[in-house]
Amino acid sequence: MKFDHKYLLIIPVVIFLVSVAILVNQYAQTGELFKRSIELKGGMVITINTQERLDTAAIEAALKNKFQPINVREIRSFRGYGTVIETSSDLKSDDIIAEIKALGFDTSDNSVDSIGPSLGASFWSQTQIAIIAAFVLMGIVVFILFRTFVPSTAVIISAVCDIFMTLAFMQLFGIELSLAGLAAILMLIGYSVDTDIMLTSRLLKESEDKTLNDKLRHAVKTGLTMTFTSIGALIPLLLLNISPVITQIATVLLIGLAFDIMNTWLTNYAILKWYCEKRGMA
Amino acid sequence: MLKYWRILLLVIMVSASLLAIGLKPQYTGVQVAYVYSDSPAKGTVQQGMIISEVNGKLVQNSEEWDALVKNYTGDIKLKVNKNEYKFHVNNSELGVGIEVNDIDRFNLDFGLDIKGGTRIILRPKENASAQMLDQVIGTLQTRANIYGLREIRFLPIRGIGGDYYVQIEASGVGREIVDTLLSKQGNFEAKITKPVYMSGGKGTLDLGDNKYTIEYAGNETITVANQTLKLNGTFVLDDVTFEFVNITSSGDIILFGSAYRGDDIELVYTDAQHSGIMPGKNYFEFYFGILVSEKGASRFAKITSGIPSQLDLNSGDYYLKDCRILLFLDNQLVSDLRISSNLGGKAYTTPQITGSRETRETALEEKLKLQTILRSGALPVSLETVSVGVVSPTLGGGFMNSIALAMGLAALVVMGVIFARYRKLSVSLPIAAVGFSEVVIILGIAANSDAFIWGPVLILNIILIALAWWKKYEIDPTAWIGAVLIPMFGLLLTWTIDLPVISGIIATLGVGVDSMIVIADETLSRKAGEERKMVYTIRDKIKRAFFIIFGSASTIIAAMVPLMAIGIGFVRGFAITTIIGVLVGVLVTRPAYAEIVEVGTNREKPHKEKHKDGPKENTDK
Repeated sequence: MKFDHKYLLIIPVVIFLVSVAILVNQYAQTGELFKRSIELKGGMVITINTQERLDTAAIEAALKNKFQPINVREIRSFRGYGTVIETSSDLKSDDIIAEIKALGFDTSDNSVDSIGPSLGASFWSQTQIAIIAAFVLMGIVVFILFRTFVPSTAVIISAVCDIFMTLAFMQLFGIELSLAGLAAILMLIGYSVDTDIMLTSRLLKESEDKTLNDKLRHAVKTGLTMTFTSIGALIPLLLLNISPVITQIATVLLIGLAFDIMNTWLTNYAILKWYCEKRGMA
Repeated sequence: MLKYWRILLLVIMVSASLLAIGLKPQYTGVQVAYVYSDSPAKGTVQQGMIISEVNGKLVQNSEEWDALVKNYTGDIKLKVNKNEYKFHVNNSELGVGIEVNDIDRFNLDFGLDIKGGTRIILRPKENASAQMLDQVIGTLQTRANIYGLREIRFLPIRGIGGDYYVQIEASGVGREIVDTLLSKQGNFEAKITKPVYMSGGKGTLDLGDNKYTIEYAGNETITVANQTLKLNGTFVLDDVTFEFVNITSSGDIILFGSAYRGDDIELVYTDAQHSGIMPGKNYFEFYFGILVSEKGASRFAKITSGIPSQLDLNSGDYYLKDCRILLFLDNQLVSDLRISSNLGGKAYTTPQITGSRETRETALEEKLKLQTILRSGALPVSLETVSVGVVSPTLGGGFMNSIALAMGLAALVVMGVIFARYRKLSVSLPIAAVGFSEVVIILGIAANSDAFIWGPVLILNIILIALAWWKKYEIDPTAWIGAVLIPMFGLLLTWTIDLPVISGIIATLGVGVDSMIVIADETLSRKAGEERKMVYTIRDKIKRAFFIIFGSASTIIAAMVPLMAIGIGFVRGFAITTIIGVLVGVLVTRPAYAEIVEVGTNREKPHKEKHKDGPKENTDK
């Protein structure tokens, strides 16, 4: 196989650049890097759970007259249908629910979430600090583990790629980042580093009498088993649609794990292989 | 048996966790939710204790408790946590001063997003200190108790910038109660309108013993006691604060005199003699009396002195002319009454508060809210609602079932993938079992009032590792740390199981399974040449596996630590669960799993060695 592994890097680099472009474009258009849920910007969400499907267009049309801003959409859940009304936290939820009830819909099973804009802003600034701090701490731990520059950096780079690509993908498909999503993103750091550490330690620490390709084959088998069990376990969580929190976590993790397969076996591997060859290990 | 001490440790800790989750010291009785500060049982009876008998009678639930102790006076005997206590109750209104709940089935504390309820976050409008926040929570708790709100919890929360919030969690309580009862600051003030009749630009302000001259200086300005005041200006005379509020069309001056404030209230009457509801024409009127301090009463006397009487032709009674008593709560008028002429100039200590509502129920509710706020006193700062979350309680049962279904399906998928990879039930079954035990241990640590289980387990674990060390079985510092640390967590930590926590459990399970795959993989992938000194090699490989496991565990913990600092509960539950879960995995379940795999492979060794090419080699190709 006379194939230069460095070309492998082209794929993740292109995807990474596209991701950054998506986020920058989003920033240029809306002034924000990505869409945030009401928890992170303030607002109110009313969810009305029903067995039958409600006419969201009719509800939106009726509410628009009295309440501004308003946005009505529908979600499916394991209990039937959910009608989600997004609005400002200044309005009274009881008034809106009463209005929908007046339209002849059953509103008895409802839930309300309201976050004032100042609290949302406070959450958001805390979130940003948390993500940066998590990254810095994670980086320190990785450096302590390997105590060599290139392999440690490779692990961190692939984690950064995972997160950027996941965030960009979420923008493309209109998935807002919520507190649950944030938790999932940080969890993704864990899953991402998991396979990267495995790969790195297999390539660098495994006995000398194996070729680099043998080690890689072994690592790929383990790593893919790890990733596929995680993906396999998340799919039922996603399909059962238990709650918006769990659905968002499962969605973000699934997107992230898919990108992680690429970033572990293309990005991280290509950098490591280049490093091993330079040091005459291959 | 002792040879497999790490498996034994896992078995002990799983059993302990099951007990911590399910075992109750007592199943009959009621659980103490709150003890009032002026209760005779304060200091003896504490939150979470179980009261099983009142005066020798068995109590099964909170309704029975209420029936037994309502308005109780005299000596009362309580059986609390199987001990008898005797208290003397002398205040019939307070009773024994203990609020109770029914006993929960599990020792797990489920979050609102699972059992339904309201979560509200309030923020002090001004800068508040930690002490002020404690005071706020104390007052809120009193209000909740007086009003009869059960299962309501108040938590102080500190944001990153040092700002404070109060989080209220309650089942069956709507936002309305919070807005109209709890978050009300409760500044009470009774103002009396004091007319000063002017003739020729002069009038007399009659304050009982002292009389002051008021002069009209034109342009809505008056002078009194050498002070010049514009409209809405205030002045203090004889300990009474006056506000210049109006000039009538006939040129008379109307003042507001402040008679009572919140701290003048000594007692709020709730008994039938002093409080009740009266039906009106098309409304219901509520009334209740309050007892005010001597100082307040003398201010009332000063303000109402020297005011002429006037006959009300409708009722035939005499009232003070142009003089009313207005009661304000947080600057909102709640009650407006005429003053009977025979009270003029007298030290009146028992004024009444009245108001009306359209229905009997709303009138009762309003009366109870006002009484509650006046009894609890004012909050040291005013609060504003910054976040409201209401979850319908129907989520409960169906939700737990679908979580169980999802977990079951996930376990099947994971076992399927692993079986497809290794073709060995002896690898995939233990992964599922150990994964499940990890969930149980996390829940066991999160369970509350479990000290009596984790304490003995800690001792048992230490004995076990000491014995294993004495008998010179393998030394494993990781498992040692786990054997001590995990029961300590069990002793010290308790947290609420909500959706983020469940997500955290799922996340750790994923990491756990990943790590077990690494162990299985390292153990099973041997080269033929290493087969001779296999035990050594397996140990060696497990050690290498543990480098990977420790590496990923420490990065995950590092990523989770910043989340712990984020102010509001949501992410913290996720972070703490993930950290504890990862630690349980690294320190307890993974050493045990490594031992299980080791035992499994060693058992297979004798008969597999007869064939030169064991099927295990296939796994490496």
